Amino acid sequence: MGLETLFIFLVLTSLVLLGSSLLHSSIRVVALQGAALSFLPFLVMESSWAGRAVFLAALTMGLKGIVFPILLNRSLREANLRREMEPLVGYSLSLALGIALLILAFWLAGRLHGIGVGISTLSLASAFFMMFIGLFLIIARRKALTQVLGFLVLENGIYAFGLTVVGHIHWLVELGVLLDVFVAVFIMGIAIDHISREFDHINVDQLDQLKG
Amino acid sequence: MLVVHYFWILLGLPVVAAGLCVLLRAPWAIFTALIGMAVAETAVGALLVQGVFLGAQESAAWGWFYLDALSAYHLAILLLIYLLSTVYAAGYFRHELAAGLLRPAQIRRFGILWCGALAAMALVIISNNIGAMWIGMEATTLMTAFLICVHRTAASLEAMWKYLLMCSVGVACAFMGTLLAVAAAHGLPLSGSDVLLWTQMRAAATQMNLPLLKLAFLFLLVGYGTKAGLAPMHNWLPDAHSQAPAPVSALFSGFMLNTAFYCILRYVAIIEVATGGSGWSLHLLQVFGLISIVVATAFILFQEDVKRLLAYHSVEHLGIISLGVGLGGIGVFAALFHVFNHSLCKTLAFFSAGRIGQIYGTHAMAHIRGTLKAHPVWGIGLFGSFLALIGVAPFALFMSELQIIFAAMDGRAYVALALFLAGTGAIFIGALKHAMAMAWGEPEHPTPAPAAGITDMILVAGSLSILLAVGLWMPEWYRSLLLRAAHIVEGKL
Repeated sequence: MGLETLFIFLVLTSLVLLGSSLLHSSIRVVALQGAALSFLPFLVMESSWAGRAVFLAALTMGLKGIVFPILLNRSLREANLRREMEPLVGYSLSLALGIALLILAFWLAGRLHGIGVGISTLSLASAFFMMFIGLFLIIARRKALTQVLGFLVLENGIYAFGLTVVGHIHWLVELGVLLDVFVAVFIMGIAIDHISREFDHINVDQLDQLKG
Repeated sequence: MLVVHYFWILLGLPVVAAGLCVLLRAPWAIFTALIGMAVAETAVGALLVQGVFLGAQESAAWGWFYLDALSAYHLAILLLIYLLSTVYAAGYFRHELAAGLLRPAQIRRFGILWCGALAAMALVIISNNIGAMWIGMEATTLMTAFLICVHRTAASLEAMWKYLLMCSVGVACAFMGTLLAVAAAHGLPLSGSDVLLWTQMRAAATQMNLPLLKLAFLFLLVGYGTKAGLAPMHNWLPDAHSQAPAPVSALFSGFMLNTAFYCILRYVAIIEVATGGSGWSLHLLQVFGLISIVVATAFILFQEDVKRLLAYHSVEHLGIISLGVGLGGIGVFAALFHVFNHSLCKTLAFFSAGRIGQIYGTHAMAHIRGTLKAHPVWGIGLFGSFLALIGVAPFALFMSELQIIFAAMDGRAYVALALFLAGTGAIFIGALKHAMAMAWGEPEHPTPAPAAGITDMILVAGSLSILLAVGLWMPEWYRSLLLRAAHIVEGKL
């Protein structure tokens, strides 16, 4: 089944992010995940809405697969960075935690399935898993750029959830979300530029003057 | 003119003004445009809310815009706070420009974003569509992020990043909640776009999938609660409020937090209808309210920076509002009353702290002494607003907090009452000590403060006298407006 293959791919790409320290390859993995996500509208929407599915897919591919990687790579070049240094949680521990989060996601999906969301446990679990991984990257990594990647993975999870659970209801919501993520990432990019001009590196742990 | 036109003008005016700011160069021209826009916006808003204040409801554009007692009340507060902050900003930034702390280009950027922030917040308040409401909330975050770092320092960039990231994640969480709420309505005979309308959702609430709706509320509470500054999701708030320029802090504290809390209130209404008034969501609000009060107390007592002190007061007061709503009954009425009182009072407090910070060149309270002597107008403003904030009678905040105490006794919520009294009592003593130390004493380096302008005096005297007047006497139409709004929150209307 196409849908299941896609969701397994989404889970695997999220896991890869946990173990990767090179920033440009992380950007590539997130781009790949976004591109994969652009096939989702075809798989979950009824055939009578082919036009809408094509439109959403093109927009997703354009933003998540092309525009975001370009924006992020630009920030990466300007900040003159190569890799994530000394993450707060080490890579092997991150992977172990990732497995734990995967189990949690499946448990949660099972519960939710029980209370009447009429879609498969696998789709729900992988959407939750992406959200967890996104949050984890935001909390456990120091580079501002990795945190933006975490935010993107979180949004990917929500997008996948939205499309599979309520995708048939209102297309304005999906459109709103895509535009919104676009603006958010754009603004975060500008913010990173400002920060890297002010500081030598975009290490978030240097952002620790404000306390109390 | 039709009502729908007013709604569009309300959203369109700030956008036009933002466009104008792009074209304008001179700071005075930008501020003229901003003040003109704020006045016009307030006038349009007044036309819109006057009917609702008297008991009507407005709905337009296929039900996408909707104004009832709850939203009209919030819209009126938004416009008042925005107008005051815009007038104040003109004076505040004039001093910054004169001191060479700011370039005209930065004023321009401020002007554009300042307009955008208004459009975004107005969209949240007037939207009946929960999707549009969410988009407005996210736009608020994006518009205001760079307002924090108008002065580009390391500390303000840090605050901006923290704000941007935490609130984006929070609002993403709220989006998840919105999706779940829509999923909970799955299978009901509602057509495509109707299902997103709050009025339709409330009407169909009893038939919705309840476990799913409750799960949605958890996401929404945590998500919008992050933006509303409820503890323990408040970490961005003290940084952002202390680093932003004073007019921005005033708007943040005075209304942006309430915008997010308003979204929570909308969902409380749906949950209350769906559960048949079981108070499930109210208990959660109580818990978050009490945590906020306790956390704020700890930080207020040992605070050294005046703007951070005020920021923690916001956590405290949003906690009080949340607790009030959570107590139900008269507590909801009192909490809504407290919304206005806190907004006006905190706005004045940030105005005063901002100007006094400029005069003393620091926000460290240890170096701010003798403000009453150094600059009587803003000195009185700061001291007066502190008195009102900590709940000195007969200011309006005392009255609303007193009613929350009654609500707690009515509901036999003695644990909540004890925590509330202990928290506000400790804050009373702690903040009074800070406020008195700043008001009296001898300035370290007596500097000739600029003479107070007429607008300064009006801002201080006007705000304080409104807070006093509302505390002493509440007009009948105001009482009935608040009662109707409270009924909406409790799902009774």
